[in-house]
Amino acid sequence: MDSVSLKRSAHQSRGELLQYIKTIRVVVAVVILILVSVIFLDFTGSIPASWTSGFVALQLVPSLTKLFTGLTLTSLGLVFVLLLTLLVGRVYCSTICPLGTLQDIVIRLTRRMKRKKWYRYKKAPLLIHYGLLALSVLSAFAGSMLLVDLLEPFSNFGRILTNLADPIVVSVNNATAFVLGRFGIFSLYRVPLIHLQVVVLLYTLAFLAFIVYLSAQHGRLFCNMLCPAGALLGLLSKLSLYKISIIEERCTDCGFCEMVCKANCIDSEAKKIDFHACVGCFNCIDSCPTVGLTFEGFWKKKTIAAPEPVNAPRRAFLGALVATTSAMIVPADSTKSAGTPNQVSYDDSRWMPVTPPGSRGRERFSNLCTACQLCVSVCPTQVLTPSLLEYGIAGLMQPKMNYSGSSCNYECVMCTQVCPTGAILPLDPPAKKEVQLGKAAFVKEDCIVITKKKDCGACSEHCPTKAVKMVPYEGKLFLPELNNDICVGCGACEHPCPTTPKKAIYVVANPVHLKAKKPPVQKLENPLESQKDFPF
Amino acid sequence: MDRRTFFRNSLGASALAGSYLAFGGPRDLLAGAAPRILAGPVDLVAVRGGEAAQMFQKGIEAFGGMSAFVKKGQKVVIKPNIGWDVLPERGGNTNPKLVGEIIKQCLQAGAKEVMVFDHTCDEWQRCYKNSGIEAAVKDAGGRIAPGHAEGYYHDVAIPKGKVLKNSKEHELVLGADVFINVPVLKHHSSSRITCALKNLMGNVWDRGYWHGNDLHQCIADFGTFRKPTLNVVDAYYVMKRNGPRGVSAEDVVTMKAQLLSTDIVAIDTAAVKMFGSDPKEIRHIQYAAEQGVGRMDLENLNIKRITL
Repeated sequence: MDSVSLKRSAHQSRGELLQYIKTIRVVVAVVILILVSVIFLDFTGSIPASWTSGFVALQLVPSLTKLFTGLTLTSLGLVFVLLLTLLVGRVYCSTICPLGTLQDIVIRLTRRMKRKKWYRYKKAPLLIHYGLLALSVLSAFAGSMLLVDLLEPFSNFGRILTNLADPIVVSVNNATAFVLGRFGIFSLYRVPLIHLQVVVLLYTLAFLAFIVYLSAQHGRLFCNMLCPAGALLGLLSKLSLYKISIIEERCTDCGFCEMVCKANCIDSEAKKIDFHACVGCFNCIDSCPTVGLTFEGFWKKKTIAAPEPVNAPRRAFLGALVATTSAMIVPADSTKSAGTPNQVSYDDSRWMPVTPPGSRGRERFSNLCTACQLCVSVCPTQVLTPSLLEYGIAGLMQPKMNYSGSSCNYECVMCTQVCPTGAILPLDPPAKKEVQLGKAAFVKEDCIVITKKKDCGACSEHCPTKAVKMVPYEGKLFLPELNNDICVGCGACEHPCPTTPKKAIYVVANPVHLKAKKPPVQKLENPLESQKDFPF
Repeated sequence: MDRRTFFRNSLGASALAGSYLAFGGPRDLLAGAAPRILAGPVDLVAVRGGEAAQMFQKGIEAFGGMSAFVKKGQKVVIKPNIGWDVLPERGGNTNPKLVGEIIKQCLQAGAKEVMVFDHTCDEWQRCYKNSGIEAAVKDAGGRIAPGHAEGYYHDVAIPKGKVLKNSKEHELVLGADVFINVPVLKHHSSSRITCALKNLMGNVWDRGYWHGNDLHQCIADFGTFRKPTLNVVDAYYVMKRNGPRGVSAEDVVTMKAQLLSTDIVAIDTAAVKMFGSDPKEIRHIQYAAEQGVGRMDLENLNIKRITL
């Protein structure tokens, strides 16, 4: 009997579903990867925000962050993941985590290219892994999300999709739309890409190259050395009800399971599996020629042992000190007072970032955002763009409102509905219209009406509340006049201003969002309905 | 797609440079001259007191029916105002019922296809949807096309322009046999009033240039480029202040009126009077009249007034 039929009959004789476990895992992982990709890459706005929001609730670190902003329905996603891990171990890492699936794809594709084709048992790098987790947690509490941003798998995958995959998809779409347009077919339309930022793109490319290299050469090393989600779930999987174990009676010491384990967690000699490092891919179960591995309740365990973690607390503490000091690198003026809704100081710097509606303020936003770019992806006007240093080094790549080419649609609340970490909280349209993100500032000397003595009015034209009104000026000209009480800071005035090099009207960010008054509504004085005749 | 269209499009795209030197308005010639209504018995029709579709039916009858403008097999492009993400009752965009009725009449007159587009100010998909125009176009049997990306626009020269010498116009207008301009009458913070002349601004890509270089003059200049086959001014919901977007429903009066004319300056003059302002105060109308785009002297025109 050859090994394959030996395996099959062994499975059948035990009547198990175990023979399908790896296939099931692969199918689920692929489906979830496709769904995550669709959420980020859909530019038609067809996917309801509630579906997106519900689906990303399954992502561990963002959901955990969101928990600190309050218990909501989406917290159920976090509960589900934690319970799942307590039940069956770190299957999250091989199914729900899109970066995990990406690594698996890379591993599969590069398998033939590796000289050393097989894995070997390695002691898990606990010091680095849990040290980094401690650093991330402590610096997050101290106010800097930077370490979390850089290490968190969902956010990294989100950035890969938004900055690398999206331009490709959009370019293909635009090329097809162009060709079809020549034939008079307009069912596809062009999509401009204005949210790209070169440095962010380069960083994302570098990270992608890094993760591809790491997974091709070392399997799931990222998951067991750098990933904070992996560290957290590893703590839970040690206690899980179901674990993978080696059945001693069946084991022929061939070592095959150790060779295929991409988490490097199977010690075939000692017949031990370091289950806290296992990423739940079930390749081992699938590969054993004698069906010598099983997945069963711990009460049935024969040989399960996890090595005791090295005593890392002291080193982690020292690391935390470093983290706290690095978190102090924030813009100096973040401590300035918010000011009143209609006062603007013309000293305020133009580069200070305006944060999206629902974020409530710059500091709060930067403390919670993992820079996953989901809001950037779903924004219909592409006004949200990744920043560089506008939030300080601690806020690298976190999104800001970029009013140079676009503005925030008055009726839209998309970003507030999808944010996975709660950095942006949900708002309904009436509530959103009362949020003042910033105040408009007008530099009269730069305005076209003053410099060229000609009518313009592009700013007032777009203003949804008429906080910018045109009032009579010299001769027959009209000049903009501001009423910041009703300004919502949407940038509708800034984006069409034709003045170069700097706009004559622009939005100065409110460090803490304020409340805008509703525009005054009065009845018209002389409605024309009574007119029966024609005035000519 | 038929060969004729393909040839026309490729010829247009490749011969632009040459034709720019040889001719003043290259696209006009290549697209085929739109059937101009010669000075018939009626110059301007003013209707009031009915529903938008109903008023158009009466109005177009006074010109001799839609077939006076649309011949069998012709490509029609309708340019309403779809600039803003507001609902129809707010008067920020052209009344969708009017757009739908015009499309139906064009198809009945034998048009091969009727296309609708605008270069919107707010996000284009929201504008198309919330204005009600996208649905109205589909129901009437027309086709709505996007106008939000630069690739749809092509260079054109404006030889009679004083300040605006060239621009980029949407390819649909460039390739149309019949071009129907359907503005909504309303207050405008930049140009005081927006109507037929200002509505043409939605045909071009680079609007920022107009704002930065004497808006009124640019509006008048662009009026010299290609005269619409027919202008229909929607004055059903008229925004009296806080235009062009409007702040609330309180800004709007239900005027229930409509104007039709082939003279874009005359129709604007009449519309501004109905709005309650003095046309001589609106500089782009004044400039356009001076540059020969049309006439402001309504007292010398043959006007048909219809009250329903």
